[in-house]
Amino acid sequence: MKFLETLINGFSIGGIYAMIALGYTMVYGIAKMLNFAHGDIIMVGAYVIILFLPINPVVSIIAAIVLCALLGITIEKIAYKPLRGASPLAVLITAIGVSYLLQSLAQIIFGPNPKSNNLFEKLFPKFLESHRGGIIAIGSFNIKLSTIITLACVALVMIGLTLFVKRTKIGRAMVAVSEDKGAAQLMGINVNKIIMITFAIGSALAALASTLMMLDGQTVNFTMGSLPGIKAFTAAVIGGIGSIPGAMLGGIVLGLIECFAQMAGLGDYAVAIEFSILIIVLLVKPTGILGKKRREKV
Amino acid sequence: MRKFVKNYLSYTVIGSLAIILTIMGAIGALPGTTLALLEQSAIAIVLAVSLNMVVGFLGELSLGHAGFMCIGAYVGGKLAVLLSSSLGGTNILTVILALIIGGLAAGLCGFIVGLPALRLRGDYLAIVTLAFGEIVKNIIENSEFFGSHTGLRTPDFTTNRSMRFMLFTIGAVVVLLTIFVIQNVIKSKHGRAITAIRDNEIAARATGINVTKYKLMGFVVSAVFAGLAGVLYSYSVQSIQAVTFDYNYSIEILVIVVLGGMTVNGSIISAVLITALNNILQTKLGGNIAVAKDLIYALVLILLVIYRNAPSLKTFREKYNLGNLWIKLIKPKNDPSKVGEDAVRWDVVPTKISMDEVLSTDVIIDTTGDNSADIGERGGNK
Amino acid sequence: MKIRVLALILSIVLCLGMVGMIASCGKTNYAENNTKIKIGASGPLTGGAAMYGIAVKNSAQLAVDEINAKGGLNGIMFELVMLDDKHDANNISTNYASLYEGGMQVSLGTVTTKPGLEFKGYANADNVFFLTPSATGDDIPEFANGYQMCFADSDQGTASANVFNKDYKGKKVGIFFKADDDYSVGIKNNFVKALDASFGTPVMASFTDATASSFTQQVSELKDCDVIFMPIYYDPAALFMKQGNGTVKADAIYYGCDGLDGIDAVDGFDIKSITQGVSYLSHFNSNTTEGAAKTYIDAYKAKYNDAPLNQFGAAAYDCVYAIYDAMKYATEKNGAEITVTIAPEDLCDILKSVFDSKDFQFRGITGAPEEDGKSIITWTDANGNATNGHVNKAPVSYTVKEVTSAQ
Repeated sequence: MKFLETLINGFSIGGIYAMIALGYTMVYGIAKMLNFAHGDIIMVGAYVIILFLPINPVVSIIAAIVLCALLGITIEKIAYKPLRGASPLAVLITAIGVSYLLQSLAQIIFGPNPKSNNLFEKLFPKFLESHRGGIIAIGSFNIKLSTIITLACVALVMIGLTLFVKRTKIGRAMVAVSEDKGAAQLMGINVNKIIMITFAIGSALAALASTLMMLDGQTVNFTMGSLPGIKAFTAAVIGGIGSIPGAMLGGIVLGLIECFAQMAGLGDYAVAIEFSILIIVLLVKPTGILGKKRREKV
Repeated sequence: MRKFVKNYLSYTVIGSLAIILTIMGAIGALPGTTLALLEQSAIAIVLAVSLNMVVGFLGELSLGHAGFMCIGAYVGGKLAVLLSSSLGGTNILTVILALIIGGLAAGLCGFIVGLPALRLRGDYLAIVTLAFGEIVKNIIENSEFFGSHTGLRTPDFTTNRSMRFMLFTIGAVVVLLTIFVIQNVIKSKHGRAITAIRDNEIAARATGINVTKYKLMGFVVSAVFAGLAGVLYSYSVQSIQAVTFDYNYSIEILVIVVLGGMTVNGSIISAVLITALNNILQTKLGGNIAVAKDLIYALVLILLVIYRNAPSLKTFREKYNLGNLWIKLIKPKNDPSKVGEDAVRWDVVPTKISMDEVLSTDVIIDTTGDNSADIGERGGNK
Repeated sequence: MKIRVLALILSIVLCLGMVGMIASCGKTNYAENNTKIKIGASGPLTGGAAMYGIAVKNSAQLAVDEINAKGGLNGIMFELVMLDDKHDANNISTNYASLYEGGMQVSLGTVTTKPGLEFKGYANADNVFFLTPSATGDDIPEFANGYQMCFADSDQGTASANVFNKDYKGKKVGIFFKADDDYSVGIKNNFVKALDASFGTPVMASFTDATASSFTQQVSELKDCDVIFMPIYYDPAALFMKQGNGTVKADAIYYGCDGLDGIDAVDGFDIKSITQGVSYLSHFNSNTTEGAAKTYIDAYKAKYNDAPLNQFGAAAYDCVYAIYDAMKYATEKNGAEITVTIAPEDLCDILKSVFDSKDFQFRGITGAPEEDGKSIITWTDANGNATNGHVNKAPVSYTVKEVTSAQ
């Protein structure tokens, strides 16, 4: 019973990590950069939702997705694009700079007070009347509606992304760009446009992730993004960077580890356990669980 | 000795500065703000130069440098605490012992982290180093032996006005030692092997370089000096707290290294400048405008990196380059050592090189006309 | 070329050295050019803990402005200088030196404990008086010149356990704490130590910065408890309560310490939406509607609108007034001479003797209010002996919300 409950909790937290990791892995896979600012785009998304929530919850989610996508494109244009062709480390450092920038701007604009939210209450007022705390009781155990939404969302996004990448013209262009930018350019692919679209999708997914975090009750403040950013990086690596199903798997694995560590009374050591497992996974399979092996050529 | 002379400039400058500052510190002529800045700069220099060993010369991204520093700080600090009843915590012998043991402990961890580096590359290795740093932090945080959450109280020089200059002397020695050892490792044949691995691991292996040995060597050397920085740190604060050594600290060091152009001298300059910038922002922008300092720092970071690295700004950069001016001032033309530190241009080194060039690895093909050909001295640059 | 550059650099360095040596000599009083008495402080104004530091900065400024408006100390005005430490002990050596050399004469120390552990050593070396509003660590007032306005961690843990021993006998106790926070762990350890044996071993669940985004699992661990002790700050507590709604026993009680103050003012969190009861033991309630505390809250809101308002700020407000009152007391009762350029070490000795004397009673807004709406705060125990800087005032157990019957 306890085991089952922990499992569900693990999926609920892991689902959120998975959603963040999906956006992260999209950007990484195509633009080949560690986007340290990804977490902060989540934070911006959360603030946008808070801003628009009084108008309408659905509008606020759409606004967050649109604005985050635009923000992603802007950041890419201003901070990353001038560095295309430069050392990957230079891009990493600007990403860190962008992350600091977004955080301090958020503190200036929204103030340091943490903000709780009632997105869930606004979205499902009827449901809450009959189910206290948004909980559905199935037999003897409880599951939260937000957990179901999270998992459904992640699964849908994962399938959607996979299909998008495999079936559409833009998707296949993305694969081409990720394999070899120069060759893709020669084949008539507009690399700049493809990378821009990638950032737009990645940032829109970040907004979706902030929606899920808020449905889960997350308090919003200007530092809320830095940690999920690192978690997403970890999850994406466990699953194999660049692999879409891998990101989802990695996120859920992380969530499960956290919850089972807590169940075993090792909550204080959750970080150590999580990262030890990461290292073990990488030692056994150096490209992550679902990562593709790349032959290195001279 | 010949190599030492070649680089005598940076040693003499830092050495003489250290001597004078120590004297000034000893007679109490330096205000506390300057002392704090100098102490922080010394630690930053050691950290940046040692991280540069992995990032600049081995070409691996490390996000766990603060973890090694953490090991050094806690092991050295704990040793000093244990010895404080017998030898005295701030006794010079204790300090030396703490430096040695702290450095060795960190070096051992560097070896352990270096092992996965043999199997992993790029961002996968980066996350392993980050993971290592966080694991260390997490375990120490929960360990009673190391003072758990309240931190480990260590002997320090800072709260004792008459002793504070000692920290300087020790700091200066550690800084000089770090630069000396790392410069020499880089300029030796080991260093050439390490840069060869960076430029192309498979090619390096093909030419008979023991990749395992040199990768581990890079990590261990880097970790040892990070450990020394940690011991230095433990003497500059009254209690060390694990939370200090999180991944953000590692990233701060990485920022210094990258802005320094991934050379030894660049790391030194950028360590001092970034520390000073942070100091100025922190002390000048207090109260209501404190939030502006992060904004300024972030903007400086973004603009500086774009200015220094953007391919489209290349011509502009070459025209008005302060860095070049600086190099011209401090380094005369045709100094062969300039070639050895080609990490500044590792971004333009093509990753795929043809076999011909690999086989002629000992010959510099001088394309710019700027560098003298130095046969048999450098390898794997072009 | 090389030699010339080298010689140039060396000579510049030497000249600088000489100038420095001549410029030195003797201990300087950095406050000698002050036109106002400078109160220095360091706290997190940016980063994750900014809301605490900003509350302190605003409230201390409010108190300083009020005092100045009333004519200061016999015409001597006050000035607050606060630097940002990001809740990071590494920034203290710079901040302290900058404050001290900028003419700081008396200090509010640091806002949080970890930087405070550094600050106290420097302040002790220079003999600077500090009265910290909210650095709760037991070791903060270690040296003779350090004082606290807040309750120390051990006191809070023990006092909370006493409340449990009295009010919650026979109930199942759970503890939810932050494992990488000395405040939280310190209170928890003392709480467990002082908790009556009849409670058995409490159920524990913890989180760290790295696992703070969701408490679903922790809620599951604690869902069978009748009383959940939460020695944490209000923002994670709000998340726990939100996520625990419906899973944690409907009639459970959340019990916290002073960190929980502000829980009912978290933006967007409707505390009435949960069924559980919420109480905490603290020295201040930022939703109070009576006494001197109310005056402070109104003045704060009028001046700073939506800025963070919590017990940190109230304590800082008290700190400034306590220092002011002590100075006034010293000049009036002890005949001490306080000038605007007084050296920090001289002021420290004056203030220490006042704070350590049993006759000095500060009337403030933190602690249980007396009939006139102000509380009595001293730094001496019941016998009139100095408490080494630990505060002596009466805590109050506030009930934010009673248990509401389940729907």
